Amino acid sequence: MTDKIYVPADYVPILIQSLVALGFVALTMFATHFISSKRKRIRTLRKDENFECGIEVQGNARFPFSVKYFLVAILFVLFDVEIIFFYPWAINFLQMEWREFFVMLLFVALLLFGFYYIYEKGALEWNNDE
Amino acid sequence: MKAIIALSILAVLNMFFGVRKMKKVLLPLIFIGLIITMILNISDWGKSVHYFNEMFIADNFSIAFSSVLILIGILIFMFANIYYKGVERPLEDIYALILFAIIGGIVMASFGNLILFFVGLETLSISFYVLAGSKKFDIASNEAAMKYFLTGSFATGFLLFGIALVYGVSGSFNLEAINTYILGCNGNVPMIFIAGMLLIFIGMSFKIAAVPFHFWSPDVYTGSPTLITAFMTTAGKVASIAAFYRLITIAFISLHSELTTTLTVIAVLTIIVGNLSAVYQDNLKRMFAYSGVAQSGYLLMALIVLGPKSAGILLFFVLSYVIATITAFAVLMLIREERGTFFIPAFRGLAKNNPVEAFAMAIAMMSLAGIPPLAGFMAKYNLFVLTAEGGYTWLVVVAVIGSMISIYFYFKPILASYFSEGEPQHKIESSVNFKINILVLSILMILLGFLPQVIINLL
Repeated sequence: MTDKIYVPADYVPILIQSLVALGFVALTMFATHFISSKRKRIRTLRKDENFECGIEVQGNARFPFSVKYFLVAILFVLFDVEIIFFYPWAINFLQMEWREFFVMLLFVALLLFGFYYIYEKGALEWNNDE
Repeated sequence: MKAIIALSILAVLNMFFGVRKMKKVLLPLIFIGLIITMILNISDWGKSVHYFNEMFIADNFSIAFSSVLILIGILIFMFANIYYKGVERPLEDIYALILFAIIGGIVMASFGNLILFFVGLETLSISFYVLAGSKKFDIASNEAAMKYFLTGSFATGFLLFGIALVYGVSGSFNLEAINTYILGCNGNVPMIFIAGMLLIFIGMSFKIAAVPFHFWSPDVYTGSPTLITAFMTTAGKVASIAAFYRLITIAFISLHSELTTTLTVIAVLTIIVGNLSAVYQDNLKRMFAYSGVAQSGYLLMALIVLGPKSAGILLFFVLSYVIATITAFAVLMLIREERGTFFIPAFRGLAKNNPVEAFAMAIAMMSLAGIPPLAGFMAKYNLFVLTAEGGYTWLVVVAVIGSMISIYFYFKPILASYFSEGEPQHKIESSVNFKINILVLSILMILLGFLPQVIINLL
């Protein structure tokens, strides 16, 4: 790896890739104009809507919602990420010493402390309506 | 390493006591913890231990800068109860974030691997983003947090892209291995490596608020809570400049002669723009933001000429800057609390009614401006001598002109408190404890001015 000197010509594939990406956009935009019907284009309410997998749009997405959803979403992400540490640990468990076991115990202890903290702070209380 | 573990345990304990509503325990616990951390940190002095496949290197340089960071923590918590006077909440989250930011700073001062460097930088930055917005119902604080977060994550993106390019070309994250790679190129370093290095430089310049990447700093430093501003200007700058020094002296040392042009341009611009912008500020907090920009320029000068003593001089400069800035911010906090403003007229007649506070403020400002025989003067003197010996006489001339400009704005509060005409403001009540603290810091600034070699010869 270290003995190869890279010259600008080595990056031609990247250039081709970007040209293909740009070209695809330009081509499809041109093609849709070309193959669409010759009639004068009609704008309707339905046509101007955002495309949502064919399902009709219901209302507006921008309405106020309870911040508790946000809080729970954040906490979910936080406690969900532990899996990415647990999974490789579990796969390699048989080859490991006791040291790694205690390292993971420490990690779990810290995680549980975080859980205790948010519990005591009242982040999981749903029923108190200010 | 021991310092990081001790600080983490301290932060978790602090959160535990905070959530149990034991407000009285928190600050004593933090002081004891920080002092233990300091002792543990210094106990590794001279051993140069390498941890985790060269990821974390506890050499003398990193221990010295970690000690400065822990000292910043102690000084900030000294004034925490004055700033948060009358707050009923235990505030354990803010304290814990300050401690975590210090951990990030220590990692940034002792990394041996670009990945760990990035982790440390993010630990520091994310804590700062939250701390900047910790005055939740103040719109300026929200603005500061938002601006800092957006611009900061953008700069982090640059930095990460730079790290990726450097890794892509050299094949290693290890600083020594990168240096070996550069040496193996025989002066024929690929352009893409240079590009990656420059992107890393852009990220670092942003973090130390060097021109032209300083635009975030005035708004962020003005909007954040004052105690947090004092912490951010000191801890952020110390950690970033330590990391920058490590990067340049270990990884990019073989390319240093090519880098000096870039660094010199940034340093000159930073000194001139920082000092000239500070002249026009009436808000003292905003003035401190610009003066912090100018101080980054002086810090960058230590990276341009690398002598055997440049690490020591950098350490001394950083130490004198930290003590002076925190003293000035402590007095500023007291005045803001009483008078409700950061503008110069709030200092009118301070010397008559509050001689101790006025004295400490004057010493701090004179040290920052570089008036002999204070610590700031000795720091600048040694730095300028180092730079001049390296053949950059014109850079020293620019820096001296910058210092002369800075005397104008640093003396504004001194003049207002000692020589102002007109109605003096009423007396400010402050505790004996506060007076002793700022007096000790002032004496420290004077003492350091007489004994600079003690610190400089450490490294």
